[in-house]
Amino acid sequence: MSILTAEQKQIQQTTREFVAKHIIPFAAQYDKSGEFHPYLLDAARESKIFAMAVPKEYGGLNYSALTQAVVLEEWGYGCGGMGTTLAASVLSMDSVLVAGNDEQKKRYFAPMVRGEIGSFGLTEPGAGSDAGSAKTTAVKTGDEYVINGTKCWITNGGYSEVFVIYALTDPTKGVKGLSAFIVEKGRPGFTIGTVDHKLGIRSSNTVELLFKDVHIPASNLLGKEGEGMKTAMKTLDLARPAIAALALGIAQRALDECVKHLQKRFPDPKVQPGQTLQFKLADMRIEIEAAREMLHYTMSLRDASVPFSVESAIAKTFCGDLAMKVTSEAVQLMGSYGYTSGISKLMRDAKIMQIYEGTNQIQRLVISRAVLASAPAAAQKAGK
Amino acid sequence: MSIYLTEEQELIGKNAQGFAKENLDPIVVELDHTGNYPADVVKKMAEQDFMGLFLPAEFGGAEAGYVSFVEVIENLSRSCPAAASIVVNHSLAVYAIQRWGTAAQKKEYLPSLASGKTLGAFAIFENGPTPGVGPDALMAVKKAEGWVLNGTKTYVRNAGKADVYVVLACSDPAAGAKALTAFIVSSKAAGLTVGEPKETMGLKGCPVADLNFENVMLAETAVLGAVTEGPELVAETLAVAAIAEAAQTVGIGQAAVEHAAAYSKSRVQFGRPIATLQAIQTLLAETATDCHMARLGIRYAAELLDNGEPFQVEAAMVKQFLARLHSKMLLDTVQVEGGFGYSEFMPLPRLFRDIAGTTLLDAPADFPDKTIAAALLA
Repeated sequence: MSILTAEQKQIQQTTREFVAKHIIPFAAQYDKSGEFHPYLLDAARESKIFAMAVPKEYGGLNYSALTQAVVLEEWGYGCGGMGTTLAASVLSMDSVLVAGNDEQKKRYFAPMVRGEIGSFGLTEPGAGSDAGSAKTTAVKTGDEYVINGTKCWITNGGYSEVFVIYALTDPTKGVKGLSAFIVEKGRPGFTIGTVDHKLGIRSSNTVELLFKDVHIPASNLLGKEGEGMKTAMKTLDLARPAIAALALGIAQRALDECVKHLQKRFPDPKVQPGQTLQFKLADMRIEIEAAREMLHYTMSLRDASVPFSVESAIAKTFCGDLAMKVTSEAVQLMGSYGYTSGISKLMRDAKIMQIYEGTNQIQRLVISRAVLASAPAAAQKAGK
Repeated sequence: MSIYLTEEQELIGKNAQGFAKENLDPIVVELDHTGNYPADVVKKMAEQDFMGLFLPAEFGGAEAGYVSFVEVIENLSRSCPAAASIVVNHSLAVYAIQRWGTAAQKKEYLPSLASGKTLGAFAIFENGPTPGVGPDALMAVKKAEGWVLNGTKTYVRNAGKADVYVVLACSDPAAGAKALTAFIVSSKAAGLTVGEPKETMGLKGCPVADLNFENVMLAETAVLGAVTEGPELVAETLAVAAIAEAAQTVGIGQAAVEHAAAYSKSRVQFGRPIATLQAIQTLLAETATDCHMARLGIRYAAELLDNGEPFQVEAAMVKQFLARLHSKMLLDTVQVEGGFGYSEFMPLPRLFRDIAGTTLLDAPADFPDKTIAAALLA
């Protein structure tokens, strides 16, 4: 567990100012309309924040994992939807970080440095938790691949310059035939299908991607054919704590809004909330603190290049579940005020934190497998 | 408590279910989108006697009792919780008038409320820690010719559509919340205005707004119950609200778990329907169990009410139980449906937004615990 450095605190402060100016005032409006905030990318351009995870040699900010978590928490605090825009763009480039060569990194990261965004396309209508039953195909013809299929619930899809798309290069092999590709916007045959309306994170853009005989150069293959599942899993390991950070921001926001509400509701110092409410606030604070420390620890592991896959799943699950719990308690605490105000948005936004980038059930599978795998070894040790 | 519903109660519940499927299912999505008051549906519900279900026949009621009432509310809520909400809030005004009204008040108001010719609303909330003590508290001042009301009631359901409001006002500033008095106020009363409709997270179509009183003159005959009898009237009416709203919560939970169960059978991942996964079965089983246990508690409290026995503690317990479990029901069922469940083209997001409202809108959050603890500590 590390304590934030002066530089990280400075970044946190700058991010807070950005969020207060460019996100919080617009969150309700775009939540209501269900549209993407078009000015958001312009506002963020100068700060290069969409290139926060891009290494220095490619012109990015090269933020450590911990610093990224600090930034994402603030974005989640401002708006879970807009935070999702940032997290999803970072997610897409994580695949290139994991499996891309130097030339691919140059190509993929350049738009991010210019302030553009990317999308990660793995999910299909029939392949959610079970990513291995994808049906989208990429057939090699000469020095090109031809992609056909549909991806769904793709964040940023309508606004992204670049995409990482997972498709089967060998459908007979199932998961082992899955490969990852860079696909640029505007390729003939590559179009946007339905734009999804959602319970929450409504200011983020979620669309269907349609591929009809989309030709891409063979040099867009990330890593080797058949390595797609491995790349996707490594990418998600990197990206899951980002969701934890957003969830944490949402939980912190809910707590702060509760405090504001109670200060308004009990202006008279002689009439103060009862212990039920006092303890609820204390519990929220305790759990948020634990969640933040857990997340920062996970990020510190990653920054120290120590394996962190299980910790990543733990942080995502804990923070996602916590955001749901704290936001629904906040709505309950505020009663009718909560039900009719922007607070209910926090609850709607929080729900997706338990679903996307691997449902918390899938995280629990990952975690329980690790627990079971380590158990016999521990028993052996004890036996000796 | 009778273990089974009577034939009549079961029939009334089944009829309500049939009615809801035919008349509410087709409008529910649009209602959620527009939030427009469903006047046609309210009229049809009145034709089914839903607006005066527990009232005696002499006032035009169906005389079907409170167990039947909660059966109807649960079944309406399975299809359209917002429509059920309109009936529930109306029924609170009806309950208060039939319980505390004079013979003349009952005769004047109940028949048209029972037939649905008029709509009722029950207004207790104010913008302060408790009614009667905030800056905009509704104050009632006694004059020679009756009462003058000034102030604001907030979060009033059915506001703007109701014809008859039962409102709680403070009739003695020094005594604050202890001196609440109930009044029957016509929507046409001079000086009474309805604020902007409040946008709510769910239950869209059930209006919510403020009622603003500016020198509203009421005759002495507008007082419901005795002067300063308000606290008892509120406590008992909120207990009725607790039962009715619990029935709404259970209706929503039941609809959600049935939808999630059907979904889990058709959704194939890892080469088999997710219904075969233990983790999914647990989510479904817990929700179904919570619904069932709550339903038993609701029927029990309603039957106490039917038998004229004290019911407030049991009603509060149902509310307490569901205050802990209502959000879990929808969080878990949405979780079963994953990304699909989160999308607005599926029904669970709407039910998710609705279910929170069923435990929030009518009663202060501390009402159940206070009631239960007071009984235990007495």
